Amino acid sequence: MGTAVFDLHALAPELILTGVAILILVYDLFIGDERKWTLPIVAAGGILAAGIPLVTLGLSDTTRSLFGGAYVVDGFALVLKGIFLGASFVVLLMSAQYVEEGDYHRGEFYFLLLSAVLGMLVISSARDMISLFVAIELVSSPTYLLAGWRKRDLKSNEAALKYFLLGVVSIAISLYGMSILFGVTGGALKFTEIASWMSAVPSGSAMGVAAMSIVLILVGFAFKIAAVPFHLWAPDTYEGAPLPVTAFLSVASKTAGFVGLFTLVYLAFPAQSQVWRPVIFGLAIATMTVGNLIAIKQTNLVRMLAYSSIAQAGYVLVPFAATTREGSLTAETFASSVTYLLIYTVMNLGAFAVIIAVARRTRSVEITSWSGLSKYAPGLAVLMTFFLLSLAGIPPTAGMWAKIFVFRSVISAGGLANGALAAVMGINSVIAAFYYLAVVKKMFFDPAPEEDLEAIPVPASLAGAIGIMAGITFVLFVIPDVAVRLGYGASLV
Amino acid sequence: MSNQQVVQVIIFGIAAALIIFGGIRVVTAQNIVRAALYLVLTLAATAGLFVLLLAEFIAAVQILIYVGAVVVILLFGIMLTRAPIGLTPDLDNESARIWGLVAGLVFLGVVTFVLWRHFASVPALELSAPDSGANEALGRSLLVDWVAPFEAVSMVLLSALIGALAMARKD
Repeated sequence: MGTAVFDLHALAPELILTGVAILILVYDLFIGDERKWTLPIVAAGGILAAGIPLVTLGLSDTTRSLFGGAYVVDGFALVLKGIFLGASFVVLLMSAQYVEEGDYHRGEFYFLLLSAVLGMLVISSARDMISLFVAIELVSSPTYLLAGWRKRDLKSNEAALKYFLLGVVSIAISLYGMSILFGVTGGALKFTEIASWMSAVPSGSAMGVAAMSIVLILVGFAFKIAAVPFHLWAPDTYEGAPLPVTAFLSVASKTAGFVGLFTLVYLAFPAQSQVWRPVIFGLAIATMTVGNLIAIKQTNLVRMLAYSSIAQAGYVLVPFAATTREGSLTAETFASSVTYLLIYTVMNLGAFAVIIAVARRTRSVEITSWSGLSKYAPGLAVLMTFFLLSLAGIPPTAGMWAKIFVFRSVISAGGLANGALAAVMGINSVIAAFYYLAVVKKMFFDPAPEEDLEAIPVPASLAGAIGIMAGITFVLFVIPDVAVRLGYGASLV
Repeated sequence: MSNQQVVQVIIFGIAAALIIFGGIRVVTAQNIVRAALYLVLTLAATAGLFVLLLAEFIAAVQILIYVGAVVVILLFGIMLTRAPIGLTPDLDNESARIWGLVAGLVFLGVVTFVLWRHFASVPALELSAPDSGANEALGRSLLVDWVAPFEAVSMVLLSALIGALAMARKD
């Protein structure tokens, strides 16, 4: 054969990342303790190197379809892969110092992190049930282990165990749904086959079985994005896991769940929106409301952000649930979800980076221990305020635009149900502002503890992470066009 | 029904009964070693289903890997970690058991209802008769059409292995 069997250019990001992950494992064996600090640099280099073919693929601007349409590199895949690589790069910056000081198994830590990122790259391109399932497993199994990386800490053990057990059960339910759908459709695995079956056949009874399988499949992904009522693992896991891993879970792993939802809902089940739309409508409303109401009561900053990230996932779900007049899915609703995810990723990573920096001093993430932070760490207090304002959707931050785009896409669709969605989202934004601003008040207006008021030293890599995230949050406020264009570029409809 | 179909249904019934019995015993057995042995029963009966589906190769792999390797590793794991073998009453939670039972029965009820009502109208999948090329087709399918998820699975296993080692290692 003259031509290559596989389009290596399309697979290059995945291949590079696999290579670097395995390289780290081997390299770690041969270096002494004094050279271990180079590991995060190799990992970060791997992520940047995987980004290069992403750029060249983006410039070539053609949709590449491999394995008979089971693996597709299109605008959606490229934008999402970009978000994943960017987020993981920042998580690496956040981990470098943390992992070194904690004296964890460093080589294995970075290997597992890169494996999870690899899973995220695969899930962005997966266009059939088998690839989707394997990819979500590749995202999950390293993160189950990373959540328990602080071995001697009971909370970390609890975090890993809860995440693992509930994750396995929910993905098993998804898999059961997939197997039923496989049987009902007569062996369809690719999303295009499933979609054409669904728009053609639906003669009452076979559709009844398919409808059940759609709901079952959605369960596993609702778990991954921590949508209520599949959120019970999230607060405990976020609290117990090492902080950089928490940041990774709340951003990258959650986005991976959304990627699964996007491709399933928009590519495999678009013809059956009357089945999944009520489900997602209920999920969106419950997720926003329950997440925010419980967040108010939290005294632990990480638990508060855990509930806040549950609520934020609810906002991303809102455009899915919006019913358009034509009854079909529009590029506008799709783009507003992706834009929200992108901006949420940036601001939430920023908030976690500041928490890691401050926790190096306070050794606690209780909100009370943050009182008077502005007295001895004014820079960190201001940046934390900036990220919290963004999460609340208050200018001058990108978070404002994220909320506006979602609002606009729902309201422009019109109708009573959409109006109700927008109203619930509005009320929730007000509730959310309350608890975000309570932390700001604590940092600026409450007295600082008596003992040591020296400035907090921030390691360079962590400072870089905070700086990059703050910069992007501000730039996207000034020119939101970039985020919107990425959102539309990713659109699957 | 032809005679052949009757035999198939009977064998399916036996295998399914063994799988369900084994599955229930895995979660109800008080002793974890016994639970592992009931798992052998479930996995072996599953291999029987593969034979019924004309997939002898997968049936053989199921026996070799799951019964032969996975359960043995499981038993080694129980032995080597010095986890308490036997009853662990302080880990039992009576009220959780009731809620678990309720949730399980509701799930079973919904799924049974939907399948019972609707599955008759679902067209049966045609099975092609096995020929000498079945394994070749399987290999082609795994390593050409589905090579991306196949390789991704190897990364799942590698990361699980490495992570488990790091977790279990004394330091």
